Amino acid sequence: MVDLIIFVGLLLLGYGFGRAAEARHYKSIRKRERFLNRIPAIASRIPPYGEPNFDSQLVSGNVVISVDYFKRFIATLRNFFGGRVTSYESLLDRARREAVLRMKQEARSLGATMVFNIKFETASIHKGNGNTIGSIEVLAYGTALIPNNIEVAHTANLMR
Amino acid sequence: MQYTNPQIPEGINTSESHPLKEFFILTGGVIAIVFVSFYLLIVTVDFFADKIPFAWEQSIPLESLLETGTTDAPAYLERLTQQVAADMALPQDMQVTLHYVNSDTVNAFATLGGHMVLHRGLLEKLRSEDELVMVIAHEIAHLKYRHPISAASHSLLAMMVLSLFTSSADDILNRLMGTSGLLTLMKFSRDYEHRADAAAVDLLLGRYGHAQGAVGLFEVFKLERGGSEPLEFLNTHPLTERRIQRALDLAEKQGGLPAEQSADKKMQPLPAEFTRWLAAQAADQASDELTTH
Repeated sequence: MVDLIIFVGLLLLGYGFGRAAEARHYKSIRKRERFLNRIPAIASRIPPYGEPNFDSQLVSGNVVISVDYFKRFIATLRNFFGGRVTSYESLLDRARREAVLRMKQEARSLGATMVFNIKFETASIHKGNGNTIGSIEVLAYGTALIPNNIEVAHTANLMR
Repeated sequence: MQYTNPQIPEGINTSESHPLKEFFILTGGVIAIVFVSFYLLIVTVDFFADKIPFAWEQSIPLESLLETGTTDAPAYLERLTQQVAADMALPQDMQVTLHYVNSDTVNAFATLGGHMVLHRGLLEKLRSEDELVMVIAHEIAHLKYRHPISAASHSLLAMMVLSLFTSSADDILNRLMGTSGLLTLMKFSRDYEHRADAAAVDLLLGRYGHAQGAVGLFEVFKLERGGSEPLEFLNTHPLTERRIQRALDLAEKQGGLPAEQSADKKMQPLPAEFTRWLAAQAADQASDELTTH
């Protein structure tokens, strides 16, 4: 009986806080994505502008998000029935987008106009810890192109 | 050549469906699966449980069934029990053995091997012989229908089935399945209580012509509980209100008086000798506690 109450309590807490945090996070992600859209991030390995006019530098964005009890509960039941683990899909979606945003933020502070050759790394950082609530980590990194004189910066801006 | 990043469209990498909807479908699914499979297993086990010879139950050592401090009951209780047992048409090979515990616990139970235990705590609360007969008849009915062996089989079964999953499944899933399994067992337990109540009410009608003993006993429970009862599906026993209602309905159906009229039926008082003995037992217990502490 006490077990059941604690269990339902944890579920409610996980649902309430988890859902509020997710809604807030998505709102912030969308807002910043619009703002940082001026710095494109592309997967191409070859820099698009003439290299001599740009400095390049590694930029990265790293994010860790915790799974809440409710999401984990649904995912556990999905283990049983199969199907899309939607509760984790949104979690990873948020983490990826946030990581890209942080990377772009760094690029922006360096005065970069573009990030190319971006890559992702994902890890779950509770591995080997059994049944505890886990967290996921997403790392996005790439090469920022920073115009090395005003004229190039102007042209690069015109190109977009 | 132009480089732009498009605004990522929403709803491709994530699902728009409400998480609560998923929650209810999945949880409901697990509960339903556990309930149905437990139900079928229990029905199967029940089919075999009452084929187990009563003599096997009797070979279980008494010490493993009863707590320490269990003694023989006084002659009055013994006599009443044997009378009730004789009226209840027990199977040929079944004997009821009565035990008594001098403790404040408000409880009585029947267990494997035809053993039945009355606690002083409960006896003290009773206000009439009718209520006492109701307690005794209810417990003997459990024995008659072989409920102890069935209940023991259920627990064993539940433990076995759930332990199969404990090794492989997640902790949360385990807990969910354990809880729904337990709730299924409780459903069976409540059915047993209703059956025992029905048999006991039958006996009261035969003995006294009315079933006020049942109503009186359940009112004692109600007082004991202090008014608030938890949700029925979380309990091994049905709600007291419902037990009263069922007892009255059954009494009326069996040709007894309707509820309104039977309410003024007088119940048989308990013999003065027995109440004196109970009081002496309580004093005994109290002085024992004084000396040991």
